[in-house]
Amino acid sequence: MKMTKIYEGAYQWIMYGRDPYKPDNIIDTNQYVVRTENRCLLIDPGGIELFAPMLAAVLHHAPVDEITDLFASHQDPDIISSLGLWGQALPHAKLHAAGLWEGFLRHFGCESIQYVPIPDAGGVINLGSVELQIVPAHYLHSSANFNIYDPQAKIFFSGDIGAALEGPGQPVFVENFDAHVEKMRFFHQRWMPSNQAKRVWIDRVRSLDVEILAPQHGRMFKGDDVKRFLDWFEALQVGIAV
Amino acid sequence: MPMSQNKSQFVAVASIAAELSAVMEVAKEISLAAANAKAIAFRAGEKARGFQPITDFINELAKETIELVNNINEHALKLYRLTVKEHRMSEACKRFEKVAVSASAAPYASSLTPSLQQARQRRTDCRRQFSRHVSELLTQLADVMHPARAARVIAANSRIEASQAGEYLQSLQAVAESVDNAAQIIHDKVHKCRSALSMINAVD
Repeated sequence: MKMTKIYEGAYQWIMYGRDPYKPDNIIDTNQYVVRTENRCLLIDPGGIELFAPMLAAVLHHAPVDEITDLFASHQDPDIISSLGLWGQALPHAKLHAAGLWEGFLRHFGCESIQYVPIPDAGGVINLGSVELQIVPAHYLHSSANFNIYDPQAKIFFSGDIGAALEGPGQPVFVENFDAHVEKMRFFHQRWMPSNQAKRVWIDRVRSLDVEILAPQHGRMFKGDDVKRFLDWFEALQVGIAV
Repeated sequence: MPMSQNKSQFVAVASIAAELSAVMEVAKEISLAAANAKAIAFRAGEKARGFQPITDFINELAKETIELVNNINEHALKLYRLTVKEHRMSEACKRFEKVAVSASAAPYASSLTPSLQQARQRRTDCRRQFSRHVSELLTQLADVMHPARAARVIAANSRIEASQAGEYLQSLQAVAESVDNAAQIIHDKVHKCRSALSMINAVD
């Protein structure tokens, strides 16, 4: 699995993805890790198929007993169907996920991990030396959906927002925004149901200082491409299937 | 128990639950037949005096079967949960072993060892518990066979008593017949459960 360090300061942000051994018929996903001096947060750790390569990759940066927190942006299997396996590997870890999805996510197996329900308004994940903001992104696309903002690193993990569907082995950052647009259009129009939710989310993100917008599929947006993405998304009509 | 065993184990445990549910229905039918027989015997009065205590006995047998099946159902549910748990443990072990190989060069590879050992231990515990529950379930299923056998004997007696019931002969014979059929069905279904369980144990 490819590992890309996207922030290095007193702690690190690492993006994991583009697994060359991933089965062809499952969607490619990006996983993110926030590594502090003695703790580690896995953001959208992925599906069952990805568990072994993901854990193997994380072991390059942290020992098992320092992987203390998991975050699931929503309930989809590509986000967190590996939960039962993480529970066996990290019996003392916490899972931060929507309170609304708790009864659903427990179907993946959640006996030993502590479920920390996130209220609709969001909250924080405190990793000791760093505090991350949990930002509501409901209905984009899931009905209880959250993003993560790190004001210090200026990284905004956007879940499925900003996602693109493209072939394997693509670069991790958008290089030509105009060329990238077509890889995102259908995904956003079909998966995102609400123009109102979209406008609220865009206003929220515009109020933040974001250097990197990091989605769960496809490429990350950096610098001016963050603003370009927000403008493009604002003009896009979503919820096209009705 | 090898990993490939999981699938047939799930099927076997699910089929036991289905058979038990059918046994329960049949036992309820017997109970109904007993109530019906009691009403007929009451109407027949003196002519069916020998039949009256038999109806109570049939009812008792049906109750006993229902109670036994309820207990067995609880056991079967535990067996199913253990199957799910064992499957999860086996999956975890398989994936952890994969990680141990692919991350062998990673600086923190050895930190996975306690988790792997724990998962293996839990898998072993699950298998042990599973075997114990299967043995207990086999004994309980054997217990259900007893009232079913007794019901067949009672059905035979019922036929004799029915023959002296004059115009109620046909109705009471029909009761005896339905008890006999029901007992046979219970016997067959319980036998199927035992075979399914024995197969799991044989592969184990």
